[in-house]
Amino acid sequence: MTGGHRRILVVEDDLETAGQLVEQLTTSGYQVDLATCGNDALHRGTTAEYAVITIDRMLPDIDGIAVMRQLRDDGIAAPFLIISALGEVDDRVRGLRAGGDDYLVKPFSFVELLARLEALGRRSDTVAKETILRVGDLAIDLISRTASRRGKDIDLLPKEFQLLEYLVRNEGRVVSRAMLLQHVWDLHFDPSTNIIDVYVGRVRRKVDDQQAYPLIHTIRGIGYCLRAPR
Amino acid sequence: MLLAKTLTSSTFKLALIAIGTFGVIVSAIFSYVYLSTSDYVRSRSDRSIMAEYMDLQGVYKQSGREGLIGLIRQRTSDKAFAGHIYSLADPSSAILAANLGEWPPAATAPSGWTEFRASGTAAERSGGPLMRGMINTFASGDRLLVGQDISDLDRFAGQIKIAVISGVSLIFLLAGVASVLVTRRTVGRIEQINATSRAIMASGLDKRIPLRGTHDEWDRVAENLNLMLERIETLMGEVKQVSDNLAHDLRTPLTRMRGRLEKAYHSQRFDEDAQVLLGDTIADLDAVLRIFTSITRIAQIEAQVRKEAFRTVNLVEITREVVELYDAAAEEKGSCLTMIGEGEVPATGDRDLIFDAIANLVDNAIKHGRAGGDVIVASETVNGAPVISITDDGPGIPTDQRDQVFKRFYRLEQSRYTPGNGLGLSLVAAVARLHGARIEMSDSLPGLQFKLWFPAPGT
Repeated sequence: MTGGHRRILVVEDDLETAGQLVEQLTTSGYQVDLATCGNDALHRGTTAEYAVITIDRMLPDIDGIAVMRQLRDDGIAAPFLIISALGEVDDRVRGLRAGGDDYLVKPFSFVELLARLEALGRRSDTVAKETILRVGDLAIDLISRTASRRGKDIDLLPKEFQLLEYLVRNEGRVVSRAMLLQHVWDLHFDPSTNIIDVYVGRVRRKVDDQQAYPLIHTIRGIGYCLRAPR
Repeated sequence: MLLAKTLTSSTFKLALIAIGTFGVIVSAIFSYVYLSTSDYVRSRSDRSIMAEYMDLQGVYKQSGREGLIGLIRQRTSDKAFAGHIYSLADPSSAILAANLGEWPPAATAPSGWTEFRASGTAAERSGGPLMRGMINTFASGDRLLVGQDISDLDRFAGQIKIAVISGVSLIFLLAGVASVLVTRRTVGRIEQINATSRAIMASGLDKRIPLRGTHDEWDRVAENLNLMLERIETLMGEVKQVSDNLAHDLRTPLTRMRGRLEKAYHSQRFDEDAQVLLGDTIADLDAVLRIFTSITRIAQIEAQVRKEAFRTVNLVEITREVVELYDAAAEEKGSCLTMIGEGEVPATGDRDLIFDAIANLVDNAIKHGRAGGDVIVASETVNGAPVISITDDGPGIPTDQRDQVFKRFYRLEQSRYTPGNGLGLSLVAAVARLHGARIEMSDSLPGLQFKLWFPAPGT
């Protein structure tokens, strides 16, 4: 069986966008296959094993969702990233996200796509069973919903804890603002203000102030990344 | 329900006025007929009584009491004078000659016209035949009564009276029933038009007023309204089609454009100045895309399709989440964001959209309110209706501009230089419309209070 966790299937009918995606994903170290229509996607999806499949909602022959459903029925377990135009983000698409997959609204930034692919790819190969997650000297207890650094408790509001948990679960990976909105607040729109930055800023003050080293890093133009110094 | 509407409708009031006028005229005509008929009959009997009286008076004057007694006796035994009554009494009221048992107790006047019911017993007195007579008291003190049985006239008058009363009542009754039926029909048709209008406001332009196929004026009104709705729906559809196409056709080139810029930005082939230029261009393109997204989103909300996804949501929970999200932003501005409300304030709607609307209002309150001021967000149930209020103590919105702020891209002079695109309140208005919620803006002295009144759940 060919494949592995760096192999991605891109289903996209617009040739230029597809070309850009393939090129940039290849540059980022992925092995990329391209399908330009639904039938092609059905064929490729069943012949190789992919870490993630990105699929455009509007395809010339079959609806992206139908393709995905068919592949699921064929026993394909790879997570799907649905790429959809805004007007098409309906309950069906939102429902899919709840089922473990993700969606992205067109037009998107490549780094956003990359961040989501990383998160999805990871989800498919590890399932965390621990109840206490650690990054550097930070420990978060998923049962008591508390966080501490070097044994010293950090006072967090419930949503602040959820945000920190999401960052910790995606340790070392870039998390975009939209991803935070979707996963922490379950919001599927962009409030188009810097509200997330302000919010993360406050969490960062609570987590990083007067510590030996910072954990939450701002990635310009994209979002945030939580990592401990090597 | 329909009956209540029928009784309060203007058609019914007009019908009542018509019935009233008609009734008064009919009653007047019948009364005139009754009065003039009885007057005519009475005057005829009066003439014959008067003639008889003159005869008897003449005899009394010529031949005295004895002569009159003789005449009366002769008359009372004469068949030709049946129906006439005679009575002559002396000053002590003793009957000298009469065909009546006694002097009628009702006839007490010394002279003039009188009417009484003649009979033997007291029980019969009220039901006996009606008599009309002329009384005169002579100089000697003798009293003479000459009269006639007018019970035929009495019966006739009674019948006319019954006919008038029952006729008028019947006319009123029929007119009343007829006007209720007619009004009901009218109100029913108007109610159909109203119900369709409400359905259109609630769910969309695809509803039509049902026709009855009677080709009457109501059907013609309904037909024309339906044609108008058809036209509006077509126009709306065309507008939507254009914006949808625009949205779709622009999306692909924008995605490509952004992809190229990003590729150039990440290629590190340019010097620092060009790099900054590229970064700024991407940021501006993103701003364009966000406006574009907001417009498409508002259009999508206004298309009302999301109503199908409505479920019961707790406004307290949503406002708490918004307040939690914006707390940090308020803190940064030195403002105090407070949340009031606990437990359940259930409303029917789309959680994301309500969140978005409240977020926009809270964002506005923090941005445009007083730096270091208070912003209070409350959700409560008032008289069964769920209501969210957002209050700041900033400069507020001038009264004459309050309707304007919901227009797309509208910005107040005072906030022209704060970040924003003038679409936030349009979105709030669209969300409110979708939910059937009422927006209320008032002065909170100082500051602005924004209220969203949701319809009571289950209505």
